[in-house]
Amino acid sequence: MVSGTTRPLQRVAERLIHGACRRLPADVRSERCREWTAEVSAILNDESTRPSWLRGLRALAFCAGISRAVRQLRRSALAGSRRSTNSQWRSGAPRTRPSDMAVRICAGLVVWVVVVAGIITVLIAYPDPRGWPFLLVVALGIGFDAYCLADIARASEARYLSRRTWALLCLVQIPLGGILYLCIGRIGPARPLSPNQTRP
Amino acid sequence: MKLTGRLERVLTVLVADPAAPHYGYDLMKATRLPSGTLYPMLARLQQEGLVDSEWEDARPDAAGRPPRKYYRLTAEGARVARLELAQVPAARGRTRHVAARPAHGTHGNAW
Repeated sequence: MVSGTTRPLQRVAERLIHGACRRLPADVRSERCREWTAEVSAILNDESTRPSWLRGLRALAFCAGISRAVRQLRRSALAGSRRSTNSQWRSGAPRTRPSDMAVRICAGLVVWVVVVAGIITVLIAYPDPRGWPFLLVVALGIGFDAYCLADIARASEARYLSRRTWALLCLVQIPLGGILYLCIGRIGPARPLSPNQTRP
Repeated sequence: MKLTGRLERVLTVLVADPAAPHYGYDLMKATRLPSGTLYPMLARLQQEGLVDSEWEDARPDAAGRPPRKYYRLTAEGARVARLELAQVPAARGRTRHVAARPAHGTHGNAW
C-alpha cells in the first residue's frame, strides 16, 4: 500500500526537481538532480514519519524548497561567474538584474490588470451606487496588499519573522498585516548582490 | 562569516559529531530547516571549505535505494564552527527550545 501511494508521488517529485534543476549551471546540474532525487526517496520511505500521507506532504514541501534553493544557488553562481567570466550557463539563460526586474514588472502589471478587470466586471454586474464605497475599500485593500507583498518580495530579509510569514500575515490580515510589516518588519529592499556578498 | 540563527543550528548539528556524515534530509530533520534554506547554506559552507561532501557507495543491501550525498565538516570547518559557536552568548540558549519554528517569536507578539 505504501509503495502504491509513494510511487506516483516520487515521480511527481522527481519531475519537479528535474524542472528546478534545469535552471542550475550545467556543471552542477546532474549532480544536484541525483542528490535531491535520492533525498525525495529518503523522505518518502522514512518510516518514522507517522501518518504516511505526511511523507507525501514533506516530499512536496521539499520540492518547493528546492526551487527556492535553486534560485539562490543560481544567484550565487552568477555572482561567482561574473567574477571569473567563465560562465557555464546554457544559452539563452536570462541575465540577472534587468530581466529579473522585467519579470517583476510584468507580474505587477498582470496583477493590476486582473484587479482592474475584476473591479470593472463587478461594477458592471453591480450597478447599485451604494455598493461603490465598499468596492473602493476592497480595491484599496488589494492595492495596499499588493504593495506590501511586492515590498516583501524585493526584500532580502525581514525583521522578527521570516519573509514568508510576513507575506502570509499580510494576506490573512489584510490591512493589519501589511501595516505591521511596514511599521516593524520592514528592513528595506534587497541590496544588489555584490560578488562577495553572502546571504545569511 | 556571519553567524545567523539558522547557520548556528546547522553548525550545532554538524559539530555534535564532526566525523559523522549527514545527508540532506537528515540535516533537515535535525535542524528543522526547510530545504530551501539548508541547501544554499551547505553550498556556501562547501564553497568556503568548511563542509565536504561525498557520494555514498552503492550498497548491495540498499535494495534499489539511490545513493545519497553526504555532508560532513572538514577539519577547518570543525575548528571554525566550534569557535563561532563558542562566541554565542550562553544567555541566548538557542540549542533546544528555539529550534522549534517561530525562531524570533519574542518580539513578534505585537499581533
